[in-house]
Amino acid sequence: MTRTWSDLDDFQAFIDGGGMVEPNDDMPAPYRDEVFRFIEFHANSELMGGLTERDWIPRAPGVRLKQIFLAKTQDEIGHAHLLYQVAADMGLKTRTEMLEQLFDGRSRFHNVFHYQAVTWADQIAIAYLVDAAAFASQRAVFAECTYGPYKRVLKRIVSEEGFHMRHGEEMLLRLAEGTDTQRSMFQDALTRWWWPAVQLFGPDSDPNDPLLRWKIKSQTNETLRHAYIQKYVPLLQSYGFEIPDDNLRFDAEAEDGKGAWLTTDIDWEPLKATMRQGGPDSRRRISTAAANYADTAWVRSALEPKPVAA
Amino acid sequence: MTALLDRVTAAVGSVHDPEYPGVSIAELGLVEDVAVTGDRASVQMIPTYGGCPALNFIAEDVRTAVTAVPGVEVCDVEWLRSPIWTQDRVAPHVVQFLESEFTVTLRRTDGTLVCPVCGSGTVRDTSPMGPSRCRSLAYCDDCRNPVEVMR
Repeated sequence: MTRTWSDLDDFQAFIDGGGMVEPNDDMPAPYRDEVFRFIEFHANSELMGGLTERDWIPRAPGVRLKQIFLAKTQDEIGHAHLLYQVAADMGLKTRTEMLEQLFDGRSRFHNVFHYQAVTWADQIAIAYLVDAAAFASQRAVFAECTYGPYKRVLKRIVSEEGFHMRHGEEMLLRLAEGTDTQRSMFQDALTRWWWPAVQLFGPDSDPNDPLLRWKIKSQTNETLRHAYIQKYVPLLQSYGFEIPDDNLRFDAEAEDGKGAWLTTDIDWEPLKATMRQGGPDSRRRISTAAANYADTAWVRSALEPKPVAA
Repeated sequence: MTALLDRVTAAVGSVHDPEYPGVSIAELGLVEDVAVTGDRASVQMIPTYGGCPALNFIAEDVRTAVTAVPGVEVCDVEWLRSPIWTQDRVAPHVVQFLESEFTVTLRRTDGTLVCPVCGSGTVRDTSPMGPSRCRSLAYCDDCRNPVEVMR
């Protein structure tokens, strides 16, 4: 059953009425373009994130943590696999085109995967802070998400990311309850990762963002970022860590007397640099991913169906 | 004594799978045996996959739930190596819930797959490796949704 809409107003009425778009529908081209771009970005981010975690499997201290990183890597690569399938199915780029453009440095992925994880504590900061930011942003997409196949994949991704956050919390508490060296390792990592994690939500949303209008996103970037800061500032402080922001303050009057944590004005230049592949570790990350893709070409080739000689 | 065993069994049944919120570990067929001796409970469980990274969390959640039962001081949790978990351990109503909520399905006894989204039989396997040890990937050619299969 192919559904069609006479124009964008007709389509908007369908979306506003709680409608869900399916792959066999004759969806408006602007919707297809925007949703495709969003899913491709998400898929790229899952893949780059999975490769980051893979780097730490041999270095994770202890068998149990290796097992966790192995499983998380499989999760992220599996998510990328599902998302590339949903994206490719929209007919704008093949899966191979998406991968080749990513490894050529022509595609975008989350800012946080453009930075270097210096020590094991960085990896814990990623598992605790970055996974939580990604989880919050994915959950907000899942909340509405008018593209059916994406919403179904997100349901599982969000369930699994919730489980990853438990790992992150457990690993953080081990360091927080550890020696002075371990605590200062985490403090250094927090200083490196706080702003990239906060910036993952992106700058304030354009009020005309079509992704909001078409209910792919359910909340603005600034709403999600604000909620994240309110949650994680007091949590990290309660563990005795310091947020790297000299102007951070609690305004008891804010939000009708409910009070809110206010940060310094965010410098968005680092985020913009990552979108141009000009982040501190962008080049190495992309070339490592590209080398990995080249090294595994024989596997893809072996899986290609080949004619059998009679 | 039996009343205490019932309460402990109910506590074990209240623990949800970390990857399927809304589905209990009992409904997934992970619980093999529950016993109580004095103030000590012991729970024997079967993992879907031996290398599953959720095993420690599940065991921790079981211990927390069971030691909250008045009269229980200690709870031992053991993961058994046999019998092995098979998909017929999943309660039928849970299969339906997994299909509708998570787009996760189970292979029918004749080996075929049915799409949990549209009910079509044109589902093909796409990868033996899914995002989780216990799931492989498939795709429905009719409604064009990726599907995951418990294995």
